[in-house]
Amino acid sequence: MAEEYIVEMRHITKRFPGIVANDDVTIQVKKGEIYALLGENGAGKSTLMSMLFGMYEPDEGEILIRGKKESISSPSYATSLSIGMVHQHFKLVSNYTITENIILGIEPKRKALGLFPCVDIRAANARVAELSRRYGLEVDPTAVIRDINVSTKQRIEILKMLYREAEILIFDEPTAVLTPQEIDSLLDILRRLRDGGKTIILITHKLDEIRRVADRCAILRRGRLIDVRDVASTDTKEMANLMVGREVSLSLGKAPAQPGEVVLDVNQLCVRNSDGVEIVRNVSFQIRSGEIFAIAGVSGNGQTEIADAIAGLARISGGSVRICGTDIAQLSVRGRKEIGLSYIPEDRQSVGLILDFRLEDDLALREYYRRPFSRSGVLNREQIASYGEALIQKYDIRCAAGGSTWVRSMSGGNQQKAIVGREIEQDAPLTIFVQPTRGLDIGAIENIHRQILEQRDRGKAVLLISLELDEVMELADTIGVIYRGELGRIAPASELTASDVGEFMMGVHREAVS
Amino acid sequence: MNIIHNIIIDGMSFALPLFIMAIGGIYSERSGITNLALEGLQGMGAFVGGLTAYCLTLYFGADSRIPYAAAMLCAMLGGAAYAALHGLLCIRFRANQVISGVVINILGMALTSFLTKTINRNVFGEASDKFILGVSACYTIPGLSKIPVLGAFFTNVYPFEPLILVIALIAWYFLYRTSFGLRLRACGDNPHAVDAAGGSVAATRFIAVMVSGALSGLAGICFAYSISGKFSSDIYVGYGYLAIAAYIFGNWNLLPSLAACLIFGFARSGGYQLVQQLGMPSSYSDLVMTLPYILTLFLLIFLSKNNQAPRALGEIYDKAKR
Amino acid sequence: MNDRKNVIRIALIAILISLLAGAVVILALGKNPLSAYYNLLQGCGLAPKAKYAGSKSQLADFSSFVDFWTPMIFAALSCAVAMKAGLFNIGISGQMLVAGFISSVTIGYSSLSAPVAKPLVILLSAAAGTAVGSLIGYLKYRFNINEVVSSIMLNYIASYVISFFINTFFVDPVSRQSRNIGDNARLTFHQINLGGIKYDLPIGFLLAVAAVIIIRFLLERTVLGYELRAVGLNRTASRYAGIRVGSSIVKSMAISGLLAGIAGATYYLGYFASIQPKTLVSVGYDSIAVCLLGNSDPAGILASSFLIDIITKGSTYMSSQAGLESEIAAVITGLILLASACSSYFLGLFIRGKEHRKSTVPTPARKKSAHKE
Repeated sequence: MAEEYIVEMRHITKRFPGIVANDDVTIQVKKGEIYALLGENGAGKSTLMSMLFGMYEPDEGEILIRGKKESISSPSYATSLSIGMVHQHFKLVSNYTITENIILGIEPKRKALGLFPCVDIRAANARVAELSRRYGLEVDPTAVIRDINVSTKQRIEILKMLYREAEILIFDEPTAVLTPQEIDSLLDILRRLRDGGKTIILITHKLDEIRRVADRCAILRRGRLIDVRDVASTDTKEMANLMVGREVSLSLGKAPAQPGEVVLDVNQLCVRNSDGVEIVRNVSFQIRSGEIFAIAGVSGNGQTEIADAIAGLARISGGSVRICGTDIAQLSVRGRKEIGLSYIPEDRQSVGLILDFRLEDDLALREYYRRPFSRSGVLNREQIASYGEALIQKYDIRCAAGGSTWVRSMSGGNQQKAIVGREIEQDAPLTIFVQPTRGLDIGAIENIHRQILEQRDRGKAVLLISLELDEVMELADTIGVIYRGELGRIAPASELTASDVGEFMMGVHREAVS
Repeated sequence: MNIIHNIIIDGMSFALPLFIMAIGGIYSERSGITNLALEGLQGMGAFVGGLTAYCLTLYFGADSRIPYAAAMLCAMLGGAAYAALHGLLCIRFRANQVISGVVINILGMALTSFLTKTINRNVFGEASDKFILGVSACYTIPGLSKIPVLGAFFTNVYPFEPLILVIALIAWYFLYRTSFGLRLRACGDNPHAVDAAGGSVAATRFIAVMVSGALSGLAGICFAYSISGKFSSDIYVGYGYLAIAAYIFGNWNLLPSLAACLIFGFARSGGYQLVQQLGMPSSYSDLVMTLPYILTLFLLIFLSKNNQAPRALGEIYDKAKR
Repeated sequence: MNDRKNVIRIALIAILISLLAGAVVILALGKNPLSAYYNLLQGCGLAPKAKYAGSKSQLADFSSFVDFWTPMIFAALSCAVAMKAGLFNIGISGQMLVAGFISSVTIGYSSLSAPVAKPLVILLSAAAGTAVGSLIGYLKYRFNINEVVSSIMLNYIASYVISFFINTFFVDPVSRQSRNIGDNARLTFHQINLGGIKYDLPIGFLLAVAAVIIIRFLLERTVLGYELRAVGLNRTASRYAGIRVGSSIVKSMAISGLLAGIAGATYYLGYFASIQPKTLVSVGYDSIAVCLLGNSDPAGILASSFLIDIITKGSTYMSSQAGLESEIAAVITGLILLASACSSYFLGLFIRGKEHRKSTVPTPARKKSAHKE
């Protein structure tokens, strides 16, 4: 009986301080199938797979591989059981070549001068080239990681597993960073790998991917296994309801936009990175009050740099940026803020907040220097505390000890609420949101989306930069698509479909436009 | 002619120990552990080596070569053992690596001075704060030393100089050619990659820090045998920090770091020759002594901005963090 | 709050462990650690000695201890201000030396009247320290030079250059140190005779107590303090907040240098009256231990400097009484430093241990931070 399954995880329970990540979860995976794990952020999918890959050990339950009970204590033991994993965050050494990254840990050796064992890089290059041909994963073995794009990095992670002759391949949210077209090609690769006899476990919260490739699907919610379904015989709506645990409303009830004056006017903006390479090139667009302008694009095409340049965190190397008619190029970060700019940065933990501050201090982070928070250089502690308390109430920030809670101890969703609350409270004519919902669960995402729409409806201009195409399509009034630092197409959202935008994200229409 | 000869001879004997210490620093920092402890490590190495040589000389007599060789070996062991403390603090106890480095230096200085005095008093029955070693004998290679100018590189060579070159070559081989080196350098860039590939980040870094201790210890005993001819707290005059400046200058690579060490060495010996040749009073040598430090500051002004430190340098590695 | 209690608890544990380790060493050398430690207290006038020479008394010993203690308070505050901004001022010794030297050769050898000379010494030392400190800050801000490396370089440069000047122009042929400064410029009323007992009364100590209060206020209650702490904790977020990070770095090093300068004045023109060439005083390094042990908090520093200086100052007397090398004091200080370098680890253990006990009641606010999916 047990022979039928290549992977069995029985009655797995895993606890972390304050949370039960997996609660009596049992899954059984057959050889040669694509098995999907579906669930929201925080449902316990990654934790479950981390245990299969030996990064954690379960508190209760047992794991059987090929019918044999195993205690998987480390990733290298998992590798020896021919289990491989592509993590959500790629684990690549930036100054190494593709081959060096792939062979790391199991380097082929040769003897130099017949005596000294050396890493045989030439043989490794040949082997990597051969593997990439066999599985249709085109890469140049000698390219250095620093210079390559996200989808190639993902291929390297896949090649890493194949190089180790893995039979059980785990993919953790592999499509989160890809364009629709790249997703297509990845799904092709998955199918090809399955047809080549590999077993694939796919962690995702995207239903259409499951529809397209998975054979069976396990649905997790809050650490518990809800159901296991055959994908072919279950409809999408039902899966969605199982995943969320209630009826899903897919529409936000967005009113039509009522644009007014131009608030942000970006003209021929250029930005260079620290190596002097121009990563934003001649970008021009305008945002009016009461309008949400979204920049869609694959990560790393210059979109965060546009936001940083407007906010003053990156230097403008060419062109002009005007907020409410004032050229801001020469203004400091603070000067720009005072002219009317709120900014919710991409990285909330290392840019938006000081984690080792108390919440009330972080809530005053952009205002502390002026009245009523301070006077002639001396802080008014009482004022800071009462302001913090007011924001905590207003934006429903959950924290253990009110304004004196250490921000580090708060959840990601509440940290984001604090930033969003702080920035919205400034009542600036322009608000920039960069990846505002990254890593948050559905409840928190809905909340943030509502805030963004409210901003618009109060007559503010909103610049939304997001890698999530769904988010862009749902919120934007106008969409600009960025590809290699250039805005390829700017159009009202109503005139674009998701796949149009996807094609621009890939640069397919680039020639046609220029 | 003679001046250049002396500059080269003195310069090399200063630059090479500095270089081997810089290599140690490169090992540690390429694995991701900031190492400001070089100063303390070389002192500890010199202390252990000096003590060993002092004891063995009493046993084997002043003419024996054994104390010298044993001193080199024990200096490396002592440096490595003391470096393990830095590793323990940085890796196991997750201390701030800069603070840990400074702590190691301060404790090393205190500990070696205390032990030197205590051992001298309680074991050898004398009140002294040093172990006299004498300056190591030098060798001149016949033939090669006759080459004009370049012959100086083969004249009055301390035995540790070729030893250092051999060790440097081995260090290069391990760092750039073996799988150990591949993993070590990966630890300094993205330790998660090493972890995912089944390597142990902690073990690799620990070994790297120990290596830096061993090489610094060797450097320390070389300084003791060449510059001062003794072990005492005089050993703590900032050689470790010069080595750090050298590898920052060398962008954490071996060969450019060697160039930096040579510049320091020749600046120092050149300055001394200048004072001597111009017949200045000896207090002027204090001014000359500042040359390598001033030079370091200037080099750093020009180089610090563009140099790229290992990406994961100084970060406390947390497996669970992604 | 609870954090504060934990910090103090850990500091005490660090001291206890180090004293125990020291005791083991002393035992191994065949001496009695308890009496050795009691000697430390006696040496500082905190416990009565068996007998006193004519012009001495326990109170006189204590006044001399306070004189010794004063520079340490300034030096540790100097370290703390830099530390709060995420910088490591290991150049305190050098800054003290520069300040002390400049004040000595200008005002120390002048014939200005005491009420003019003494304030001038403090002002000039502060200015000299500020200059060196700002230079280090500027090198960091403008050229990205690690402040530890540049401080050390400047330490050695200062030490050699000043040694050259002392040996060439200001040397006292007998002591081989710089000539003694005049009493008019000295910040300690040296060997003041009160009722047959001679006391050393440091003016600087009052200043030091004031400095503790001022720096505490500066860090906790001012815009500048808020900015320094922000920069120390997270530079990127500070830039995002509109703080000028570079200028904050320079400012914190300037203040740090200023305090180090005054430390130099109270050391070279207070506790001592001359400068030993080619020597960087250990106060500058020990102040790091004091600062770490006091958790970079001015009030904590007042306590920790008191403790560390008992060990340092008392070691001379202990050495003479117990026949131990006085360097054992430096070793114990080093051990304290070592233990407090690990303090954040132990703090983490404490907090985690507490959380573990609580973990049966899951707090919803904690969920995500404790573990992301």
